[in-house]
Amino acid sequence: MFKSIKSAGLNLILVFGLGTAAFAEDIPAPTGDVLLSVVGEIAVTNAEDTLQLDFAALSELDSTAFETTTIWTEGAHTFQGVSLHVFAELVGAEAGTFLATAINDYTVEIPVSDAVEGGPIIAYLMDGEEMSVRDKGPLWIIYPYDSSADYRSEVIYSRSIWQLDRIEVVK
Amino acid sequence: MSATTHERAKTSRTVAVLAGFVALAAIALLTFNVSREIRLLGSASSDNVQWALSQTEVEFLEFSTRASATEPVLKDIRRKFDVFYSRIDTVNHARVFEDLRTNSTFTEQLSQISEFLDEGVMIIDADDVGLLAELPKLQAISAEIRPVVRRLANSGLEQFAKTADDQRYAVARTMTQLAAVLASLIGALAFLVYYLNRSNQRAVERERQQKLTAERMNTVIGTSLDGVIVSNQDGRIMEFSPAAEVIFGHNFEDVVGKEIGEVIIPDHLRGAHDAGMERMRQNGQKRVVGKGRVTLEAKRANGEHFPVELAIQSAVTDEGEIFIAFLRDISKRVADQEELVAARDKALAGEKMKTDFLATMSHEIRTPLNGLLGNMELLRDTPLNAAQGRYMHNMETSGRLLMSHISDVLDITRYDAGKLSTRSEPVNVSALLQDIVDSQSGMAASNETSLEWGWDGEPLNWINSDHDRLQHVLMNLIGNAVKFTKRGKVSLTAHSQTTDEGHAITFEISDTGPGIAAELAERIFDDFVTGNTSYDRDVGGTGLGLSIAKRFVSAMNGKIWLESREGEGSKFFVELPVTLADPETKGDLNVAETQMVENLNILLVEDNEINRVVAREMLELDGHVVTEAHDGRQGVDLAQQRAFDLILMDISMPIMDGRTAANTIRKGDGPSAKTRIVALTANAMADEQDDYFKAGMDGILTKPLTKASLRQVLQAGHQQIPTDSLVIVDTKHVSETKEALGEDAFAKLSGRFAGEVDDLIGWLQTAERHDRTDIASRAHKVAGSAAVFGVVALHEHLKKIEAAAKAGQDGEVIELIDGLPKLWRASKSAMI
Repeated sequence: MFKSIKSAGLNLILVFGLGTAAFAEDIPAPTGDVLLSVVGEIAVTNAEDTLQLDFAALSELDSTAFETTTIWTEGAHTFQGVSLHVFAELVGAEAGTFLATAINDYTVEIPVSDAVEGGPIIAYLMDGEEMSVRDKGPLWIIYPYDSSADYRSEVIYSRSIWQLDRIEVVK
Repeated sequence: MSATTHERAKTSRTVAVLAGFVALAAIALLTFNVSREIRLLGSASSDNVQWALSQTEVEFLEFSTRASATEPVLKDIRRKFDVFYSRIDTVNHARVFEDLRTNSTFTEQLSQISEFLDEGVMIIDADDVGLLAELPKLQAISAEIRPVVRRLANSGLEQFAKTADDQRYAVARTMTQLAAVLASLIGALAFLVYYLNRSNQRAVERERQQKLTAERMNTVIGTSLDGVIVSNQDGRIMEFSPAAEVIFGHNFEDVVGKEIGEVIIPDHLRGAHDAGMERMRQNGQKRVVGKGRVTLEAKRANGEHFPVELAIQSAVTDEGEIFIAFLRDISKRVADQEELVAARDKALAGEKMKTDFLATMSHEIRTPLNGLLGNMELLRDTPLNAAQGRYMHNMETSGRLLMSHISDVLDITRYDAGKLSTRSEPVNVSALLQDIVDSQSGMAASNETSLEWGWDGEPLNWINSDHDRLQHVLMNLIGNAVKFTKRGKVSLTAHSQTTDEGHAITFEISDTGPGIAAELAERIFDDFVTGNTSYDRDVGGTGLGLSIAKRFVSAMNGKIWLESREGEGSKFFVELPVTLADPETKGDLNVAETQMVENLNILLVEDNEINRVVAREMLELDGHVVTEAHDGRQGVDLAQQRAFDLILMDISMPIMDGRTAANTIRKGDGPSAKTRIVALTANAMADEQDDYFKAGMDGILTKPLTKASLRQVLQAGHQQIPTDSLVIVDTKHVSETKEALGEDAFAKLSGRFAGEVDDLIGWLQTAERHDRTDIASRAHKVAGSAAVFGVVALHEHLKKIEAAAKAGQDGEVIELIDGLPKLWRASKSAMI
């Protein structure tokens, strides 16, 4: 009895694993510069235990774009990138926290619950152009600050990490 | 005033509540502010900014450390430079640094660093060879700019401290405001508490007052002798006072909540009561409520009905309209009243009986007296010696005096019964006065008193008045004057005057007699008043003369008074309102006396045997032929058979009365249908005379009969002589009795009376022989009832039966009994 439940749970994991594995096949190992390395509890990998994403891989994922002002820039800018929601689905993160780290090793905690449709994106284009490190690139977590007052809080501002290059998914 | 208080209380309550709301709103706002401030403090953006600023130094150091390494890694150098570059770019452009950028020192430092970056970018962006070659220069400018970066990193501190101070100050201010608002809220709450406490106290006090009032009211209601019933709009009983419990015999507990109509309204009045309640509910129409005291019938617990007096008022309360009824049991009062009315009616009936008795007795006495006087007159015509003639004269004098006394009594009775009526006929005043003086002159002469009469002023000879009444009055006054004046003078003066209302005539009778004492003068016109001196006794009298004179004068709408001083004689005055009359050309009746009438064939209809005999004797002495009939029926039958020259008809007779008989004769076609019919009556009222003429009679002859009057009638045409007669029903008496008894009681009693008469007639007509005493007593009993109901003719008839039965005149009794049913039928129809 107990055994059968256990085996059923195992089957489920296997099915899920197969599904994501098939999906992961679409993300090939990086050929260009790696912009984002994903580690931790992730369902998809393409380089040993990690998921290495170059600009092409990121561009392949469904992208989201919106215009917003930020407290760090002047005027409104259009940001385009991978929705954190899409990203969370990609890596199979349903709960827990993203530990997002910048080039200078500055790390912020972003709860997975922030990854909702219409929520933050991992922006790789600003005003249609790639962002250099000098312009807080190459990746910048941007919330749609102008869409909701909830996104104009200190906590959200602190989560808006720029010069992002690593994400660890922890449960 | 309570409305104002109420208004004021409402206003202050509203203000307090509003103040509370305002304070609460302020608290909410301030609390929000405070929480915002605290949140701002908690997630201090400035700290973040400060961290970001200090990060410039960290990132610069990371860059410079890489750049100064003994074995430099170019990729790392470039990466760290870019990071620093990005940092400075952020400081240059980010909104969060706007405040700092207003500081010139900061801007100066920032521009120096920007210059360094611009210089450095050219080195960093060169190819690896170029970078390696320029690395010492990069190190040099880095070392040069290092203190600037350090100052920049620290420059924010002062600004941030100030900002923090401002924020703390703002928080403190908000907290103070919050405290103030809290204080005011507490104040408002305190006021509310005070206010509520006070209104609560007031409410308690008011409740206590209301309770006191209610207790007082209950005491008032409880001790009221009148029953008090309170009901609601639906007629349900709410209160039933102890007095009401006693009156109605219900307990409060048993009737509370019940419909009032069920409890106290008699069944036969329920319909009206329910209709009244319905009417009030429909359109508020109130017939009893608020209309003062009303007497109605009510019902006790044991079903007994009794009269109550009640007053109902309505009042509007919180529970809707209520009705308060005060009721008083008046059954005792009503019973007392009824007893009183019965006593009064009994007294009235007694008085009536007395009057009737007097009238009847006078009448009954007169009939035999007429017989006596008539026979005396006949006797005088027979040969008498001197002594016998003297005795005859004395007897006649006594007889006539007795007759006049009886007439007096009859007149008084009639006047007091309201039956005395006067006539209006042409009267020759001078002739009347001359007659009176002539008739008294003998008496005056024997008193050695001179008697004279005359006009004072213009003579007024012909007036309309009641000749006989006037004659009676003046005769009485002159007679008195002459009677009391010895060796003196009596004068009668007539004086006519014209007033606003017409003509009046005053008669003054003055004498030089002894006069009348003032004390006596006051009551001289009262009944049975005579002087009390021996002298008065000498002249004697019934004491009715003046009282009758006064009654007659009053009946003629006149006045009578006297002026007298004891020892100096008296003056009596009679003043009468009169109308002028045309002189009448009447033949002198006295002439007729001398003319002998041719012998006539006369029918004499008279029930009284003596009267019949007297009249026949008188007529036969004058040579007439007389046929007798004993009642109206016989008279009619005889008139039907033979032709008579004259019919003398008594009015009140058994079997058929005179009027009916006359009427029947006139309507028939017998040989005597056109013969002159003269009524014979002892008393006929003025208004009854018309009836006689209507019945077909041509003249009236008053009893007692005298030869002279008989002769006049035989001569004359329509000679009217005042007479009285009995009628079937005295309608006036009937209506009086009706009024006294009330319609219902009268109907009931008259029904019983009718039964009595029917019984009597039935009993009398049975074949078996009855004891005379029984007949007399039963006839007497019913006669009494007949008198009460004013059935005069029946009363008379029954009395005759009684008298005949007592006298043992069986024939007469049988005859009278035969006439009874017809009379009773006539009486019954007349009663209706």
